[in-house]
Amino acid sequence: MMDDDTKELVRGLKRRDPELLDRLIEQYQHRLFRYLVHLTGNRERAEDFFQETWVRVLERGHQYEGKWKFETWLFAISRNLVIDWQRRKKPASLDELMEPREDSTPFEPAMAAEESPLAQAIQRESECDVQISMKQLPVIYREVLLLRFQEEMGLEEIAVVMSTPLSTVKSRLYRGLEELRKSMTEARA
Amino acid sequence: MNNELHARAERLIAQERVEEIATAEREWLTKHLDECAPCAAVAASTEQALASLRGVSVDLPRGLASRTQMRVRMRADELREHAPGKKILWAICAVSWGLGVATAPWVWHGFEWLGQHTGVPKPIWEAGFVLWWALPALFAAGVVLLEKTGEQQNI
Repeated sequence: MMDDDTKELVRGLKRRDPELLDRLIEQYQHRLFRYLVHLTGNRERAEDFFQETWVRVLERGHQYEGKWKFETWLFAISRNLVIDWQRRKKPASLDELMEPREDSTPFEPAMAAEESPLAQAIQRESECDVQISMKQLPVIYREVLLLRFQEEMGLEEIAVVMSTPLSTVKSRLYRGLEELRKSMTEARA
Repeated sequence: MNNELHARAERLIAQERVEEIATAEREWLTKHLDECAPCAAVAASTEQALASLRGVSVDLPRGLASRTQMRVRMRADELREHAPGKKILWAICAVSWGLGVATAPWVWHGFEWLGQHTGVPKPIWEAGFVLWWALPALFAAGVVLLEKTGEQQNI
């Protein structure tokens, strides 16, 4: 059963309501851009995919039925765009997608403005560790960890975004979590 | 403590974060972690890794939302410009169908006459008539199917 907000969203997307789309872009910009940066490993490319995703939302909005949360559908669209691009490019492996281009701005995490210098230093060190560790992980584990622990998506939602069976999502999460923990422990040691 | 207990604890540490664990298992795990320093270290490092992962934020490019909003609006304008084309297509289909219905008796007689003069069996010319009558609908259905297929492939 759809709640009123979802029904309103479905109707708005169907009629391509420009104000609704503006609001959605504002609302999901941080999460979608962060996901795309992690997925592509490159800010410029992530920005292209970000815009392309919203154009696709406009064009295919009538296909959103409200069965899943909007962000699940949104992330699935952006992921499919990245995969399509990757297929057209045909690199040696999916991991190549994550290697930043030399001519591009490297991915650097932002700091919270109100934190103290010490807290920022600790946070930066921790973020560096996690970045290094994440980079060492195969992309199939990295993505599932991001969706679960950064985006806080449910397992079924992740399965929808990734078009993957639930059992695969779980096994990747367990494996990814173990790899990340080991990698970060080694980095700190 | 044997290795099986440590393995069970490690499995539950991960499971607790990935999905739910039963209350009895949680109680067992809490007790085990109180007594076992290596497993407690695994739990702590797992939690630390996840806290770091959750803490990573990414700076948004300046004006990303407004640029995207503008691009989306431009695309919406383009789509609106193309919309009349579809309306015309549907109007043509409707007119064609209307004419088909209006002229059906004459066309039926035409097919009948043609069938008799050429010796074509009745089921064949009847099928020909049905096909002629259904052409606009088939054409419209084809257009819709093509559009739907294209949309499915693009999602």
